Amino acid sequence: MDELEFRRRIYADPNTTDSDVVEAAKSDNSKRDFWNEQKQLDAQLKQAVKVEVPEDLVNKLIWQQSADEFSRYKRKSRWYMALAASVAFTVGIGFTMWYHQPVSLGGQALAHMQYAETERAHTFSPVNLEMVNAKLASFGASFTDDIGKVEVANYCHLSTVRSLHLILDTPEGKMSVFIVPERSDVRVPAEFEDKQYRGESLTLQHASIMVVGDKHADLENMKKSVADRIRFSA
Amino acid sequence: MFVRNKTDSGRVLSGMKAKHQRYEALVKAFHTDIYRYAYWLVKDRSVAEDIVQETFLRAWRSLDALNDEKAAKSWLITILRRENARRFERKQLDTVDIDDEHIHDDTQQADVDIHNRDLHRLLGGLSDEYREPLVLQLIFGFSGEEIAAQLGLNKNTVMTRLFRARSQLKETLERQNEQRGRVNG
Repeated sequence: MDELEFRRRIYADPNTTDSDVVEAAKSDNSKRDFWNEQKQLDAQLKQAVKVEVPEDLVNKLIWQQSADEFSRYKRKSRWYMALAASVAFTVGIGFTMWYHQPVSLGGQALAHMQYAETERAHTFSPVNLEMVNAKLASFGASFTDDIGKVEVANYCHLSTVRSLHLILDTPEGKMSVFIVPERSDVRVPAEFEDKQYRGESLTLQHASIMVVGDKHADLENMKKSVADRIRFSA
Repeated sequence: MFVRNKTDSGRVLSGMKAKHQRYEALVKAFHTDIYRYAYWLVKDRSVAEDIVQETFLRAWRSLDALNDEKAAKSWLITILRRENARRFERKQLDTVDIDDEHIHDDTQQADVDIHNRDLHRLLGGLSDEYREPLVLQLIFGFSGEEIAAQLGLNKNTVMTRLFRARSQLKETLERQNEQRGRVNG
């Protein structure tokens, strides 16, 4: 095997066990040196590609799957509503009108609250303003100052809208703040509630904010706190 | 967890539990390598994290389609590459070229020695078509055939790209050493 071919083969795979490459190295010191040098470089490259992995990534990946499952379950129940509505259509109620209504995100947010309970169980450390702003940046937004004690900041999908979900510890109990980018096909209700939680929203220029807390919590302070501190870059 | 009819809840829940366990095993076994691979595809930590999240979400949704656990690795890589391509379609208009300086800053770690950081930068500087097969080989220990299958290329093309990738790295390293030698000498 000539020098060039030998080098090509080693460069392509320094850990090759091909017999003709091995043979060629046996009878030639300079080839052997070259090979050893390449093996060494390869070991260094293997180290260099090992970039640090975010430590909470495992939890996020497992958590998002639970949240996805829950919201899918919720969507399934909407399918039954669609069936009921189509029955109504046959008696002349405008199904089409109903169908084209934008998706309402209130219920989605409430569904995520259930999961907030589980998520808090593996919270390690509070999230600082910088970390929250790093996540907000993808919506072109930032907070000028802390809005409270943020325990968890995570992207989540409300229906198909990628939103930022913040979980805060407040004097009024745990609260969630959802930052939802503006989209024409979704609707953010001004108020919504279920058995356990209650939510209110405010609509800003480029996004909507939903604040969800305990049934009896006063949400005004948090709404104001968010509205006062959020800034949009464009 | 869910309110369901009592009659089938046992069966459904045990099925769900098995799926959860399977998913968690998949996450634990592959998230490190998959994240690193994503990082070298996009050269940005937060974008890499986003893509990995999307990838595993899709994996979860179509977990039933994965019949052979041995194929899991390449299945995840395929989903991730598709996710990355999708991101490009979406963001074509507002992507900004990441220059070398940025890569350098983003990856600077106190405990990494200069040589490692050099290699890191050099890897980042390779063109995508050279870097991707190389990273598949380095991270996943893929053979030429496996890389070819994963990227939809023929094996000779892959071997040529691997060869060029490493010889470029080598040349650049040598050039740098010469320059350093001159400065120090």
